[in-house]
Amino acid sequence: MSAPASLTATFDGLASRVDAMGFRTIGFTSALLGEGVSTLALGTALSLAAMRRGSVLLVDANWIHPSLTRDARLESSVGLAELLADRADAAACIRRYAPSRVAFLPLGDGMGARPTLRGLASFVAKEAVSFETVIVDLPPVLAGETFVLPWAALVDQLFVVLREGATPLPLIQQALGKLSLAAPPYIVLNRARGSSVDVPAALLAARA
Amino acid sequence: MRPYLTTAHRYRWLLGAVLAIIWGAGIVAAYTEYATTFESEATIWVLRASPELATTSPDDPNATVIQTAASQQADLLNQLLQTKEFLRDVVRQTSLRAALAAAPDETKFLAGVQKSFRVQTHGNNLLTVSFAAHDPPLGPEMVNAILAVRADRVAQASTTFTTITNTLYQKQLQVAQAQALDAQRALDEFDASHPGALSDIEQHLKDQLRLTLDYAQIRLGDLRGRINQAALAPAILSVSGMEFQVVDQPQVETSPRGGTRSAAMIGAVAIAAGCALAALLVVIGTLLPAHVSGPADVSRLAPARLFAAVPRVTRAGGGASPGDLRTSLAAIAFADGGARNGEVSG
Repeated sequence: MSAPASLTATFDGLASRVDAMGFRTIGFTSALLGEGVSTLALGTALSLAAMRRGSVLLVDANWIHPSLTRDARLESSVGLAELLADRADAAACIRRYAPSRVAFLPLGDGMGARPTLRGLASFVAKEAVSFETVIVDLPPVLAGETFVLPWAALVDQLFVVLREGATPLPLIQQALGKLSLAAPPYIVLNRARGSSVDVPAALLAARA
Repeated sequence: MRPYLTTAHRYRWLLGAVLAIIWGAGIVAAYTEYATTFESEATIWVLRASPELATTSPDDPNATVIQTAASQQADLLNQLLQTKEFLRDVVRQTSLRAALAAAPDETKFLAGVQKSFRVQTHGNNLLTVSFAAHDPPLGPEMVNAILAVRADRVAQASTTFTTITNTLYQKQLQVAQAQALDAQRALDEFDASHPGALSDIEQHLKDQLRLTLDYAQIRLGDLRGRINQAALAPAILSVSGMEFQVVDQPQVETSPRGGTRSAAMIGAVAIAAGCALAALLVVIGTLLPAHVSGPADVSRLAPARLFAAVPRVTRAGGGASPGDLRTSLAAIAFADGGARNGEVSG
């Protein structure tokens, strides 16, 4: 196993479940900062790109802490904010990285525009369809509810990330209460000590 | 109540382990206490329940409490056991004297000895004195010692009382003798001054003088009798041995005996301590901020369900820390600086 493959193997379990469920657009959020959402989004994007042999669009929609944009050193580039504000087109905003098969849409100027349901719906309908998988890195629900809720209504599945043995339960419950989606979000347990996980019944059905 | 039950269910294995450890240790300690305790007992027959021993109850002064011979002696022994001096004398007559001398805290040592003694009445005239020890020969040694020291104390008290009584009676005897001599002298003087026939008045005076002399002589006889009784009665009782008679001598027990009560106490304390600690853990676990401690805990977030668990990355297992992992992933994902959409990336 090559070094990159061994690193992304950490996320293969999560990616394979996403693949089995057939989710195309997924979002990762959390209750608080520091739960590992951006790392999970990045790792899952890499793992899914290798798994599906198709292009994966990773969207940094974290208006509060755009760490993926910093990782890609695209802080000064146009991105999602400009795209939603119609100040730039997708071709100018989305970066493609051929070796990893990951395309990245940085946040852009976060002060310029805020995500709206209409704008995001238009983005998903026009731009995201050209990618096999779209992964959205979202801010924490409790800190950036207004940035999360529009995405929650558009993605196939929203995942709430929490750290095992660290995230206070009342805050998670509060965050889940704020989401109040028709379909309850799935939980991704990050930094888990054990590796055994009960596979949800829906996943088993999908695999069958 | 429901949060506490939920916490108890969540930590059931921890609570079970805590209870198993504490209860297990308690049961082992209780069994050890039972199996290594040897109680030696002396059965004693006592007599002489005196009417003047009737006392009043502090709760109801009008109601009299008749104290039997057995309860009188049991109270006496229990009162003696309250004093350090008595206990010290008892221990000094046994093989524990070296331990007493070496004990850093004599009071604590004597308190331990006191707790091991038990004095119980069985009816009006029967009582038992027992001593529980982990060393079988120590029991009879201690019981014999307490009986011997008690006998010494009683004999000393009896001697002191007899001496004091004798002194008092001797003083009274001297006074009575002087009174008798005065009465005899007065009668002799009257007879000398009235040689002839006596008138009615003189005869009456002489009768009075004779009566006074008779009273004085009776008093003298009575006092002499009391002095003899005071000197002889304790000795007679002591010789007869009926006042305090050891019916069954203490024996060296070969099988465990007498540890049931302390073993039950240890067991009960262990059970209570286990329950208290478990309750404390449940309360703390409920009041402290709860976390999701594992995949099974996600059920508390229903209707949200667990989708996947991403394992913790450690240097030992994965070769990279979480910070290193993020940097490495970013390096892999954003490898060549990226090409704008539609451009050809190198």
